[in-house]
Amino acid sequence: MSKCEKCAFFFPIPEGDMDFEPGKGDCVRQQEDTKGKFWLSRPVFENSDACEHHRTQIN
Amino acid sequence: MGTTERTTRLKNRCRFKHVAGGEYVDAGVKAGVERARLITQSHKENIGEPNCVIRAKGLENILSNITVHIQDDELIVGANTEHPDYFPMYPELSYFATLDMVESQYCDHKDEMREITEYWKPYTIQTKGEKYFTPEEIGIMYSATTIQPPMFVTAFSSIVPTYESVLEDGLLKRIEEVEKNIANANASLRKSPWNAQENLHYLDKLDQWKAMVIAMKAVVGWAQRHARLAKIMAENFLTDAKRKEELLEISDICRNVPANPARGLRDAMQSKWFTYLLCHSIERYSSGYGQKEDKLLWPYFQKSVIEKSDQPMSREEAVELFECERLKVSEHGSTKGRQLREFFAGSNDLFILTLGGINPDGSDASNDCTNAILEATESIITTEPSISFRWNEIGNTETKQKVFNCIKKGFGFPSIKNDEMNTQQLIKYFNVPEEVARDWALVLCMSPGITGRRGTQKTRSEGGSDVYPAKVLEIALTDGFDEFFSNIQLGPKTGDGAEFKSFEDVWNALKLQLRFAIELGLRSKDVGRIMESTHLSCPFISSIDDGCVEKGMDANALAEVPNPWHNIIGGSVVVIDSMTAIKQLVFDEKKYTMAQLVEALRNNWEGKEEMRIDFWNAPKFGNDDAYADAVATKYYDLIADEWKRNTTYSGTYPLPLAQSVAGYIVNGPKTAATANGRHAGEALDDGGSSPYMGCDKNGPTAVLKSASKINASKYKGILLNQRLSTVLMNSDAGFDLWHAYMKTWHSLDIDHVQFNVISQEDMKAAQIEPEKYTDTLVRIAGYSAKFIDLARYSQDTIIARTEQDMASGS
Ligand code: SF4
Repeated sequence: MSKCEKCAFFFPIPEGDMDFEPGKGDCVRQQEDTKGKFWLSRPVFENSDACEHHRTQIN
Repeated sequence: MGTTERTTRLKNRCRFKHVAGGEYVDAGVKAGVERARLITQSHKENIGEPNCVIRAKGLENILSNITVHIQDDELIVGANTEHPDYFPMYPELSYFATLDMVESQYCDHKDEMREITEYWKPYTIQTKGEKYFTPEEIGIMYSATTIQPPMFVTAFSSIVPTYESVLEDGLLKRIEEVEKNIANANASLRKSPWNAQENLHYLDKLDQWKAMVIAMKAVVGWAQRHARLAKIMAENFLTDAKRKEELLEISDICRNVPANPARGLRDAMQSKWFTYLLCHSIERYSSGYGQKEDKLLWPYFQKSVIEKSDQPMSREEAVELFECERLKVSEHGSTKGRQLREFFAGSNDLFILTLGGINPDGSDASNDCTNAILEATESIITTEPSISFRWNEIGNTETKQKVFNCIKKGFGFPSIKNDEMNTQQLIKYFNVPEEVARDWALVLCMSPGITGRRGTQKTRSEGGSDVYPAKVLEIALTDGFDEFFSNIQLGPKTGDGAEFKSFEDVWNALKLQLRFAIELGLRSKDVGRIMESTHLSCPFISSIDDGCVEKGMDANALAEVPNPWHNIIGGSVVVIDSMTAIKQLVFDEKKYTMAQLVEALRNNWEGKEEMRIDFWNAPKFGNDDAYADAVATKYYDLIADEWKRNTTYSGTYPLPLAQSVAGYIVNGPKTAATANGRHAGEALDDGGSSPYMGCDKNGPTAVLKSASKINASKYKGILLNQRLSTVLMNSDAGFDLWHAYMKTWHSLDIDHVQFNVISQEDMKAAQIEPEKYTDTLVRIAGYSAKFIDLARYSQDTIIARTEQDMASGS
């Protein structure tokens, strides 16, 4: 099964940030509704199972 | 419309969270579940720790894991929930309020939230507080008839965050300071020889300080999450070069604040917004937007806009930023039980900031930052945040003109508070040093409190809570029993009004019923205060108060600067007019007996129309009528004396505050017919010295003269609503007429005044074609609302207010 680590929406947390933990990252996704666009960020771990929104990283 | 394309777009797509008739107006509004889920998870993992540490870890879990978001076009970022359409829930506060929300249409996670609500039931401050009251007392309080239900069930609170310490120090410096306190305490505990008296107090302090550090670090981490999100958006999702640049700047700002001192206006605004969210709706829920904004932001405005030395920006950009702030507040959602949602008809919550007045050195405090805030308010047209302007004799005319411009457009704000009187009140009653008192801001709608780095008000168990006087008079005539609404004994047995032999008998029954209601209300607040201190520590709020850091105390527990008050909400003038009519028609002229009156009121004047008209035509407050005004003076002195008998948590007696919010609308239907000729169920008067709707017939000066006979210096505030002619206000002479009116108002030592400037025709047209009047605002009492969001009944009460003609003079 795919993991978050390989997802285009996974961004590792830089070392030194208060909430840094090895393997932890931000899952950032764009959403849009009738009132406009917004971007959501929630913490995930690279070894978490990918969700239905997973998109494979290009590089 | 906004002054820029951005703010016009933001306004057009604003995710308002207004309520009407107790329900949210916008279809997309939902209850967010993440805060409740995360605080519950943390609570389960940390049971057994001291309460402050449990609470700090709860906050840490929320801030580290809640979904954060940034919307297109935003310049100020951060919210209290996982989605821009949501509002958060607080299962740790009130079981009833949470359950009400969980079972409503707004909660999509019913099973999970029911489980969370049940989990918290034994830990809520509601459960903890209830056990100190008898079932009868609980019944009286929860009926919301004579007094507001206690804070431990409404979960309602208010606070003035100590923004200055965050903007000036930054949290990293404060963490260092707290860690120093911990190190010193640990060293003292290990000193030889052992001295228990000198050291045991450190145990609780160590817990408090440890909790503060956890909370502040979590906040810095949360801001960094926003910094990362803005950068990720710029680098991965967006192509527009200008927006990318803005997002990189937002990222830089969130990296810097609130961790470090604010450099310029953009930092200061963002740091203030993060602090607002934390203190008002993430660590716990508290209403309000208490701040002296033009004083707080003035140093940063100078650096960025005037000197252009840090985060340089044009004045137009500053106005745009203030417009963004107003829209951010408009989108802010809070959850409340039904009674409070109904109390804030047409609004979402109470957001009131304060401008004007004087500086600690006595100079005019209105500056160009004040002007820019007022200009943004005039252009963007939102109901929130409301503004209170401190009217001081020395205030400059340019700023007063801008205040007038907002009022004449019909916003209903700025409301005006008497600067000298409110400053003196803090000095005289609460021993606040004059230079500190001069920086006051309203805590909520009407009540002044200090601002600054320490000692600001942290909880509504200090101020707030309500007594409903019209209902109290009703039961004073029915032996304390509520025959009309709740069918319970609401107060002591003070006799059947039908048998009262003298006017003094009526006063005495009123006094004893008031006394009971006041004392029960005060006791419930102080019990709530202990529950908050013991079970609802607020380590972040404590960490940004210099006094709490110094003393190692929780902000709920520390009452460094007492500021107690208690509201008398909507109905004071109904009582005054009723007592006046009773005095004249029953005891002076002896046209009717008390038995006839009590029977007529019990039957809602049925078959007694002639009698009702007599009572309706008796002298009324607001006409400079000596007979009615003498009753008003006596009533208001009685109220002040009754509160003065008590001593509250903070060691002194509370001052009463006569106002209304939308209580005059909500409580009208619970109140039987009254002796001022009002039918059962009809609205009450809309504030402390606002004449009853349509009863002020002698012009604006007569209203001011009546209001001036009440000794407002014994009060936290006394609300006065006035409706002014749109034609006059918009005429060439408009400002001069209003300015002359304001000078008269000020010279008469009146505490407050606020205005509706909207024509009868426009309001009636808005009732027929609401879609054409989306920006039509009206003043309710203490806040403004979109006219079209109000229920028809509420709209009609505003139409019924007398329109004053300032040009008539008399
Ligand atoms: S949670 Fe889904 S969208 Fe987010 S990083 Fe993992 S797979 Fe990608």
